[in-house]
Amino acid sequence: MSSVQAETPTVADFARTFRRIQAEIHKLIVGHEQAVEELLSALFVGGHVLIEGVPGTGKTTLVKTLGLALNLSFNRIQFTVDLMPADITGTRVILSGDDGRREFTFQPGPVFCHILLGDEINRATPKTQSALLEAMAELQVTVAGTTYRLKPPYFVMATLNPIEMEGTYPLPEAQLDRFMFKVRLNYPGEGELTQIIASTTGPEEAGIEAVFHATEAPGRIEALKRLVREVMVAPAMETYAARLVRTTQPQNSRFVTEEAGAVHDEMVNRYVMFGSSPRGAQALILGAKVHALLDGRANIAREDIEHVAVAALAHRIILNYAALSDGIDAAHIVERVIKSVRAGKP
Amino acid sequence: MSSPSQDRRADEKLGRILGRVGSVRTRLNSLALQHAIFYTLAIAIAGGAAVFAGAYWLSPLAFLGGTLALAVIGCAGIASAVGAAWRMRASAVRAAAVADDRAELKGRLSTIVALANHQARGSLWAYLVEDTLGYQDQFAGARIERRRVSRAIYPLAGAIVLAMLAIPISKIKHAPPIASGSGQDDLTVDLDDLHLRPADPGDESGMPVTADAATMRRLEEKLAREGAANGEAGGNSLNQLVNRARGMAGHLQNKLTGQQAASKQRLNLRLADAGADQDQKEIRRAPETPKNRHSDVAGQFKQDQPESNREGDLPREDDSRQPISKPSPGGYGEHGAEADAGKDNPGDQDNSPTDRSTQQSGENGGNGGAAHGTGADPDSLFGAPAAAKLGTEGFEIAIEARPVDNGAKGAGHAYVAPKVRAPLSVNQEPDEPVARAAVPAEDRTTIRRVFER
Repeated sequence: MSSVQAETPTVADFARTFRRIQAEIHKLIVGHEQAVEELLSALFVGGHVLIEGVPGTGKTTLVKTLGLALNLSFNRIQFTVDLMPADITGTRVILSGDDGRREFTFQPGPVFCHILLGDEINRATPKTQSALLEAMAELQVTVAGTTYRLKPPYFVMATLNPIEMEGTYPLPEAQLDRFMFKVRLNYPGEGELTQIIASTTGPEEAGIEAVFHATEAPGRIEALKRLVREVMVAPAMETYAARLVRTTQPQNSRFVTEEAGAVHDEMVNRYVMFGSSPRGAQALILGAKVHALLDGRANIAREDIEHVAVAALAHRIILNYAALSDGIDAAHIVERVIKSVRAGKP
Repeated sequence: MSSPSQDRRADEKLGRILGRVGSVRTRLNSLALQHAIFYTLAIAIAGGAAVFAGAYWLSPLAFLGGTLALAVIGCAGIASAVGAAWRMRASAVRAAAVADDRAELKGRLSTIVALANHQARGSLWAYLVEDTLGYQDQFAGARIERRRVSRAIYPLAGAIVLAMLAIPISKIKHAPPIASGSGQDDLTVDLDDLHLRPADPGDESGMPVTADAATMRRLEEKLAREGAANGEAGGNSLNQLVNRARGMAGHLQNKLTGQQAASKQRLNLRLADAGADQDQKEIRRAPETPKNRHSDVAGQFKQDQPESNREGDLPREDDSRQPISKPSPGGYGEHGAEADAGKDNPGDQDNSPTDRSTQQSGENGGNGGAAHGTGADPDSLFGAPAAAKLGTEGFEIAIEARPVDNGAKGAGHAYVAPKVRAPLSVNQEPDEPVARAAVPAEDRTTIRRVFER
């Protein structure tokens, strides 16, 4: 363990490091401050991120820039319909040894890295998509009966193209749930677009400076991740997060048990088929912890939870056809849930 | 690993934070307590003032109903105020949350208070305490809650002002509890229109009635008849209950207003047709018809008002504290019967008290002939002889006129002829029923046979 890893970072260290990484990314990425913050938040709590955006909004560039700024190993997989699971996890191939004997040797796939970009993940078949599940959830890959550990930090970012839906395979809910945040990249504004034009069409490209040395980057990031876990949570905040998640669940669902004092929202009952899973509550608290540290606090507040609520819950809420026909999206539902819970707070 | 001195310093800092939270909590709980006390006092004082004013202004039953309604509303209000205060009370966690909100500490205090007793606080605990202590000026008790006195003091002050105003207003505005005869010296009231009620035991709110022996006997007969009628109607117990409630409310009103028996009026009754009582008793026993009601000559009492009450106050129509319920203005004399027959007769508007008594006397005198037929009943032919008397001193000529439909266009009201009263001459005698005379026993069989035929 290096001396850097042995150091216990402080709250100020965390905030300073975080801001520095943000600044490096924004050298190349114009705008998307909220998306970048959520991306880094997920990184520092060990989560994974689903990035949704129309073509040309910088999804791939954002992930690449993050890899450069963190100075971590980075791989990119372009998901296509003919991509096989072995193309992701790796496979056993026959290689000749020094003694001339041939034997099966495991050839690691692109999943073996610190930062993995799965570009347009919805273009691969569900079988291939599922190959990522074990890696994302358990940081390990099993090939031919042998389990291979992934080196932390391990961070998966998958991009989704919301248009061109023909020939795509929407991610199953179980896999969606494994992404801590879903980050949306919208079209840049006029001012941002002007900056993008100026910075990308000139003779010089912006140089990204790595925040960490290559050798110490994993250790520093892991230390910061441990610090995030140390942030204190009052019972009232846990209750608040739990109530938010409960309120996303429709009252009439057969999977929901009624309990006294539960807050119900009419909009949820009308438009939501399935609410958030318990992973949503975990994501709320972990994301809130990062936000609290960025604010220089060692405790989370209601504002921290609400700050990450849309990113943590929206992709976990499955809407019904009424919502689609009425043009209601999950982010709208989450905002409504926050209002309902705030109004009904004890 | 922290040293013992570091731990001691950390505990001191934590103690300072918790102490400030404690002061916030004390202040919040003090306000909650004040809220309960002030609202309770305000409701009690305002309710008391309303009851006090009601004792002057309302009739006993209205007073009773109003007092009960006020009691229910007051109890509900007090329960609500106490409940609100109970919800306002602050535990340490709630006081910390309030301080967090008001000082914008973003949950620092709430987290410290919630985790202060936990063993595993984490490596950032010291940072949290130190960080929070840096904001200690912002969460001082006086800054979190500036008020030392609850806003509930305003309703209390309003209730006190209301109570202070209620006393002079009640003293000035209230009418005397018992009317005193509309400024008339005498009132002639038909016996049928005179409603009497015996006082309940212990009820001193009624008006004492005095009368000579004959009048008293008639009153007792009337009371007995009315009591029997009420008993037949089956409303006796209910009436008793209402009377008891009325008496209780009146007693309470007297207590509150300080009006005792000293100010009680006395009603002196006498028969206006003294001497004809025995014959008229027989008449009264006959089935009542509008005709024989009019013919009830003997059923007239004169009310002598005490000197002190002859002037001034008008009677209150809803004042049911009088044990003798006075007839309504339309119920005096023959007007009571007329009101039954046709209340819309515009001619009844011309009924000054003096005219009323004279009209009644004359009209009754004129109708006296109807009693002769009643006396022809074979079952009541014979009895003790009665002395002839002159019960009236005049007669009236009633000119009945109907409004003409084809009168002058645009005429406001149809002309109604007044009743004209002319005094009797010295040679005239009023039309009175023939007094009962003594009949020899040997003639009675013959006379009875004649009447039976």
